[in-house]
Formats: sequence, C-alpha cells, structure tokens
Amino acid sequence: MPGFSFERPEAMYTTRALVPILIVLFALLPMPTWSAGTAWEQAQASELWQRNEWIKLGHYKPATWPGSWRSQTEDSRFFMAANGAVDPRAELQATLEGFAASAESGDEHAQCRFVARLSWLRGELDLGDLPQPDCAKYREFREQVNATQAVLVFPSYYLNSPSSMFGHTLLRLDPGEADGGSEYLSFAVNFGALVDPNDNGMFYAFKGLAGGYDGQFEVDHYYKKIREYNHGENRDIWEYPLNLTAEETERLIQHLWELRRINFAYYFFDENCSYRILEMLEVARPGLDLTSAFPLTAIPIDTVREVERSGLVRDKHFRPAQGTVLKQRLEGVPPRLRELVIEVSRAPDRLDDADVQALDPATRALLIDSAYKYLRYTQTGVERDPEVAQRSFRLLQALQAQAADLPPPAAQPDPATSPDLSHGSRRLAVGAWNEDGRDYVSLGLRMSLHSLPENRNGFPAGAQINLGNFDLRVEDDGKVDLNRFDVVDILSLSPRDRFFKPLSWAVRTGVERQWTDDREHRVAHINGGVGATRTLWADNRIYGLATARLENNYGFAEPLQPALGLRGGLLFNAGPVILHWELSAEKFANGELRKIADLSHNLRLSRNQALHLELLWRDQQPDDRLAVGLRYQYYY
Amino acid sequence: MKKLVAGAVLLVASSSVFAEAPGGPNCGWGNMLFKGQSGFVAHFLGSTTNGTSGNATFGMTTGTNGCSVDGKLTYGGKAMVGAMFDEFSADVAVGKGDALNAVAAAYGVSKEDRAAFATLAHQNFAALYTSENVTAEEVATNLETLMKADAQLSKYVI
Repeated sequence: MPGFSFERPEAMYTTRALVPILIVLFALLPMPTWSAGTAWEQAQASELWQRNEWIKLGHYKPATWPGSWRSQTEDSRFFMAANGAVDPRAELQATLEGFAASAESGDEHAQCRFVARLSWLRGELDLGDLPQPDCAKYREFREQVNATQAVLVFPSYYLNSPSSMFGHTLLRLDPGEADGGSEYLSFAVNFGALVDPNDNGMFYAFKGLAGGYDGQFEVDHYYKKIREYNHGENRDIWEYPLNLTAEETERLIQHLWELRRINFAYYFFDENCSYRILEMLEVARPGLDLTSAFPLTAIPIDTVREVERSGLVRDKHFRPAQGTVLKQRLEGVPPRLRELVIEVSRAPDRLDDADVQALDPATRALLIDSAYKYLRYTQTGVERDPEVAQRSFRLLQALQAQAADLPPPAAQPDPATSPDLSHGSRRLAVGAWNEDGRDYVSLGLRMSLHSLPENRNGFPAGAQINLGNFDLRVEDDGKVDLNRFDVVDILSLSPRDRFFKPLSWAVRTGVERQWTDDREHRVAHINGGVGATRTLWADNRIYGLATARLENNYGFAEPLQPALGLRGGLLFNAGPVILHWELSAEKFANGELRKIADLSHNLRLSRNQALHLELLWRDQQPDDRLAVGLRYQYYY
Repeated sequence: MKKLVAGAVLLVASSSVFAEAPGGPNCGWGNMLFKGQSGFVAHFLGSTTNGTSGNATFGMTTGTNGCSVDGKLTYGGKAMVGAMFDEFSADVAVGKGDALNAVAAAYGVSKEDRAAFATLAHQNFAALYTSENVTAEEVATNLETLMKADAQLSKYVI
C-alpha cells in the first residue's frame, strides 16, 4: 500500500532475536517439559484438537480435502506451530510446549499471547505447574477493557458510501449496565479493513470483493463511534444488549487479545466485519453456531437476526443520529414557527424581539433548542467559523437560561420499526405477465435488499438498495431467457425542506430488455441521476431526477449509445399498499427517444410476503408496448 | 494527498501522545468550543469503509490512537470534556444528557452524585463558559475548581 506504513509489531523482531538465545537457554537449563508432555498425552488421548472450542479459537474452517483444515488467518503471529494455520493438532502441541517455556520472555510468552487458549486448556487438561511469565501488557489491556457485558451494535444503512450501504456491526463491551452516559467510555470492538487512504469508496468495494485488503480488530472508545456514526455520517444506531455472562464476556476479551494486530483477509460480502463479530460470539459462548448460516454473504442485519435467533439478544436500544434528533425536535415546533427557527439561528438577537418574548416559555425554549441544534447540524464537517461560533454560543446561553422550560425530547421510536424486524434480505419472486397478448412467467431471485414500494418497516424511508437482482422469463413455449439482471440499483429519495437540503440520486447498472426497432433486445447499461424530492403530505413523496445513461444495444446501428433524460415519480402509502409511479424519457445520441411509464403497486401480505402489480408501458418508435404483471414475492 | 498528510501528522502526533496533556493532542484538548470534530475529515474515508487506517487502535496499550483517555479516573473526566466538548457543552446548557453523564462517569462520580454534578455544571454555565472561544482545558479547569468548592463533589478531584 503506497505511502502507508504499518507499524510492524515489535514482537516479531524480538521473538526472532530471542530464538538463538532461547535455544542456548534450552540446552543449558533443565526443561520443564514434563508437564507439557503429560498434558500433550492427555490431549492426544481425547484428540482435543478436534474439539469445537479449539477449532473456533484457531478460526479453522474445513479445507477442500476432507478432514483437512485451514485457518481464516494465515498470519504467522497467530500460530505457535510453523504449520499451525493448516494443522490444529500441531498447533495444539506447539501451544502446550509454548506454555511450558521459560517465563523470561514476558509479554511475548505464549501464555501472555494466547490467554483464551490457556484458559480453555487449563479447564480441559492438567497443565501442571507452568512457568509464570509477567503478562504486563495483557494485564493493562484487561484493566482498560474492564467489561462484564456485551452489546451488539448496528449503525444503520448509509447510502452515501458503497461500503456502508448495508450497515455495519460492531460489539461494545460494558463494565456494567448502560446508564445513559457511562457507555460512552465503554470499548467498541470493530473489525475493519486496513484501508489505503488513497482508495476511494468504489475502488474499496471492488478490492474488498477480491479480498485485497487485510482486516484487523480494533478496540477503541465507544464515544468515537457515536461521533462517527450519529454525528459525522448522520446514521441512527441500534444497540442490542446481549445476555453473555461475565465469564463469556471474559472469554471474548481474552480471545480479542489473541487477535491483536492479527491480519485476516477482508472480503466485502462474506468474511466481513459482521462475520468476524459472529466468530467472536461463537468463542464467547461455546456451542453456538452463528457463522454457518452465512456461506455466501453476511449482510450485517442478517447477522443481527441470526444472533437474535440464537437467543443472545435481551434488549434493544435506539441511539438517534444528529439529524433524527433535530427532526424530532422540529416536529414539536408549531408549523407557523418553523421559519422562525431559521431566523433565530441566523440572528439570535431575534429572541429579544417582542413577538418571541411573548411566546409561552415552553415554546420559546423549544425554539431556542431547535435553532441551536439546526445551526450545529449545518456545521457538520465544516471548519470553525468565528461568527457561527458566536451565534452558537449566544443560543447556548439562551438555552441554559430557559432549560427548565424545555419539554422532554420526543418519544423514542417504536421498537417495532427496528431494522432487525424488516423483511428478509433476499427475495424470491414468481410472476405472470402479459405483454401485448404474449404470456410469460417470470422467476426472480434478489440477493439483497429493498426496493421503494416494498414493506418499509425497518428501513430508512426513501432508500432503495439492491445488489444482485436476477429475473428470468419462461415463455409459453418453454423458452427460458434473461429478463433483467441488476448488478447495482440504488435510489436515494430524501425530501428537501427548509431545514434539510439533501440531493436525491440514483445509480443502476446491469442487463435489461428494451424494445428497439420493433424487436426486444437485451442491453447492458449503466445509468445515474441527480435531483430532488419533496414531501407532499404525511410521508408521500414526489421526485424528479435528471439522468444520464450509457447503453450497449445491438438494435442500434451503432450499439454503444449515450443518452440524457428525465425521470420523475410519486411514492404513496395507502395502508398495506405502497404505490410507486414513475415516468421517464431518454434521448439517445443517435436520435432515439425512449419513454417509459412504470406503475408499481405493492401489497404487503405479511412481514415476508407481498403481491406486486406492475404496469409497464414503453414507447420506443415506431410502436408502444404495454406489459402487465402480477408477482408474488417472498423474503427470507 | 491531503488525507495522506493528515494521516502522517496523526502518526507523528501519536508517537508523542504520552508527553501530552491527558487526552492527547487529537482529543480536542486545546480546541475552542464549536470546533466540531477535529480529525474527522482525516478519518472520514476510514470510517465510511468500516475500515481502519494504518494502526488499528487496540485499547490504550498500543498508545497509537492519538486520543488516549488516561485510565486514572481523576484525569479521565478532564480528557472526556475535551473528547466530547461540543456535546458536553450542549448538555451542560440543558442540564442533562449522555455526554454530561459520561464526563461525570469519567470523573468517577457515583450514580448518587451525578444529579448534583449535572446541577453544578448547569447552574454555573456562565462561570464555566466565559466566551465562545473558551477551550476544553479551560472549561475542565473551571469545572474542577467548582467541584473542589462543592462539599458533595470535592472528593472526585484531587
């Protein structure tokens, strides 16, 4: 990674330097191998290396050859045996030998490095009187990470970064029950890729797919995560306190120490942040199997659900993003006073005007608090401006003076809308279509995650996040053909109002069918758009985007054609039905004009079932076509 | 390039972390109020990719996180004021909140005394915050002076 230096653990060099010295020492001193010998004999008798606990501690997975193993880390610092990464037996033997080695190496001693192994093996074998190295570093770590409880944390979907759009999971280690504050000081355990700061998000996604990054565990204060997610990225955080016992939490911390600075290959889809968190929980509570549910992909929210299914979750807690808090505050402000919030944030002296003085104290307090929060929200990620700081301070002073009148913050959101209660991440669909008298059946599989007209419970409103959507058609003569394949399909429709000014945007790429020159062609395309969304009333939205498209269509004389266009639509909620109507027009460089009307109606049958009625009208000279389809959708 | 430079600065800064005041130079210790999230831009990519740049922080033991909150509770509170300066200040103005509670916890203030701590900070807002250009260090010093003079809270500061 150019321009980037990893601090190589000094441990490696010291160990190397120590080897000749140790050999000499071993030759001179009577070695305490008797205990390792007996322990090893006991281990052999029970084939201890086959035990689930040992396999999990070594992160071993079955390799291609039956009965063979391969650890998910090939980092030599994680193994005592030279072939430890592929031989759990040899690793166990070498670990026992390491435990019995002379205590002088201190922090580098196997007992200090592999505390979870030691603690498990002590329970399984009679290790005898082992040397007692001074594990000063581990002791210090353990004093810092002084936890008895664990919390699974899910920072919600973040559409503005390809790598975070599915959310994220991490663990928080609490010294006791969270009390609204002390958890700020708790430690967060996060598995992440060691990224090159020069790689952009898109490149990261590609490199991440290929396992091009190393990943490591990171342990840092939770308040930094709060800042990062709630404030910096404006993401809501859901926290799921787990029922791990103090002993299980201890085991987790011990194993965490073993993984300090150990490299794992980082894969975006499967062996990602969420997968490694599951592995930690498997170590914490032996006998749990969480990871085998994720052979292909580990979508963060699915891992949360798996942890729930295994009975580990005992509670649920919501930590709103800065923007969510502000929105809740603003909803409490009477509509006629909302413009005043902005006026006050621009000129706090407005507070002294007679009309504002005349407000009842609670409303005035709410006004000040909203203005302060709004002003600070606009400064997210912006350099400090002395004039803005002055205004902020003035508002803070006013807030302090009237704090007693401030109504309590808006109610917490309904736990029934937490992301773990959303519809399943994958979707199967079967549909019956009629297109100008021709009938066909469609069969669909979508690997992830959510489209706008679908049951939005647990998803951020106005966010469409799809990756890997396949749709086949079976014609009435039995011919099977590709209907569409969306590689990526993202649509972000956040409404603009006087306070919030987000852009709406869309990106989609894949293969789809288009009528051209009186024939339907499979075309490869990439398209994107930028625009704006407004709320009509309640949560019904209208949007418009300017679009650009590149299409490879063999119906054109010159297949590769760029196009510019417009698309606009409506998103309505009507009880269990969500309507998504969209019109679009695109003008190609070769003069072709394509007009499409796509009307989707999605009826929620249950959390994981829906009926979807679609009317798709396409006009591409010389003819226009109307297709009507009814689809049954099942989420899992 | 800017990120790279910022990253390099972070690395250099982190090596001297123990020579700095508790909290370290990247905790916003000397920051003025409303400075926002210092170091945030440098970390931005790392965070959006769920990634870590360079040295993965590992508790306090590595000393490479550039923002070490000293384990000793008497200094922990001071460092926390700097670490969450804006959030803490807003909570002081209102008289309650998670950041205020976190600072109390970091000072080692027991649960029974936290309400008193919050009230003390809230009612003395003007004494704590002399202007919008006040630094976290000044606020923490003012806060400790107040605590020392308070019968219930003096035991939490030496």
